[in-house]
Amino acid sequence: MKIQALALVALLVVACNRQSSPQGNGTASEPSQAAGTAGVAERAVPAVPAPADVGASERDASAIAALERMGGYLRGLTTFQIRGETSRDEVLDDGQSVEFGAVVDMIVQRPNRIRAEVTSDRKHRLYFGDGKTFSVWARRMNYYATIPAPATLRELADTLADKYDLELPLVDLFYWGERKSLDEIRGASDIGASQVDGVTCEHYAFRQEGADWQVWIQQGDYPLPRKLVIRTTTDPARPQYTATLAWNLAPSYDDTAFTFVPPKDAKRITLVETAATATH
Amino acid sequence: MWKVRRLVACVAMFAVLPLAITVWAQRGSRGAARSNVSRPSSSSVNRNVDVNRNVNANRNVDVNRNVNANRNVDVNRNVGVNRNIDVDRDIDVDPRYGGGYGCCYHPVARTAAAVTTAAVIGSMVYSLPSSCQEVSVNGLTYQQCGSSWYQPQFSGSSVTYIVVNPPQ
Repeated sequence: MKIQALALVALLVVACNRQSSPQGNGTASEPSQAAGTAGVAERAVPAVPAPADVGASERDASAIAALERMGGYLRGLTTFQIRGETSRDEVLDDGQSVEFGAVVDMIVQRPNRIRAEVTSDRKHRLYFGDGKTFSVWARRMNYYATIPAPATLRELADTLADKYDLELPLVDLFYWGERKSLDEIRGASDIGASQVDGVTCEHYAFRQEGADWQVWIQQGDYPLPRKLVIRTTTDPARPQYTATLAWNLAPSYDDTAFTFVPPKDAKRITLVETAATATH
Repeated sequence: MWKVRRLVACVAMFAVLPLAITVWAQRGSRGAARSNVSRPSSSSVNRNVDVNRNVNANRNVDVNRNVNANRNVDVNRNVGVNRNIDVDRDIDVDPRYGGGYGCCYHPVARTAAAVTTAAVIGSMVYSLPSSCQEVSVNGLTYQQCGSSWYQPQFSGSSVTYIVVNPPQ
């Protein structure tokens, strides 16, 4: 619309000028300025880059081994607390990306307990898994839904994604290092040492179908993921997701932290199963 | 000189009226960056957002031109563009605040969201029209917006609304 408006103005000026031409040099700047404005508007339309070729990369065995080690270490953690800062690009129909930030606070007690709070400008959600049930609570709207929970967090992540199209925050934490996800990786590189929030990490880059991603793994005896960057390669705009994680491996919490007790005025609504939602 | 006068007159015709163009366009989102590398990408990519965009282009084009022997050319140009982009508002905050987190992997939903006066029973929307009231009937929660009734639900982590018949 902006382009059209600019073009309209340009046309008017040019049309007026043509009427009065041939004109002295004194007005020569007028049409060129107008044409220049229209030109800028046209150039503002973004070029669409071609998707990258995923197949051409090499697979560094040490980078894969680092993922396995990190995954194994994460699975060995009985309890942990994370504060994550995330940003996620949303691509509009015309290819423009806008970024949304969020903060994730999460406490996990294996095998089956989780409490996570996600706060962004637009959404405020709390997730509770107490081993028996899983609840999601939209705090500001004061709606919640509760479903039965499977035995482990890994299964919970599966169930929520497959059945309810709901992604647990930082869900990779529950999958990393598994053979299935490692097999997806076509390119793996060790980029080198890198500081994340003052912690020395090793920086790795991976490629798989639909995504180029990077993870910064803490060096030493605690191979924790400190930062994650995922670039979606299926969209020409190549939107990016970033998460920076601060870890607490000895969190203090009450067992009740994992149990959702609905506030008196909260309303229970349903969590729709994907089959019912996917009517597109 | 008459040519110059004609030019001035012609430009002035348009210059006197500030060219006010207000465009209301709804832009959808074609997808978000995936936020994990362990799950199939399809589950996270398909979430759409509605963008309500108000483009107010108030344009004043003033061309004052004196052409004389001394060749004096003054061009005063005033171009102001006010742009207002709201992305991903609403669903979550309070339905009454309006806006629209978005739409829709449901084509009907987009239509219903845009034309709030004709809510189609069974369709899903991501935001409510204005002036809704929360009502509980038989233990279920509804939003009544004029003559239309909506039932809130979670679609993934988003709250959406199904247009329903008035509860008995």
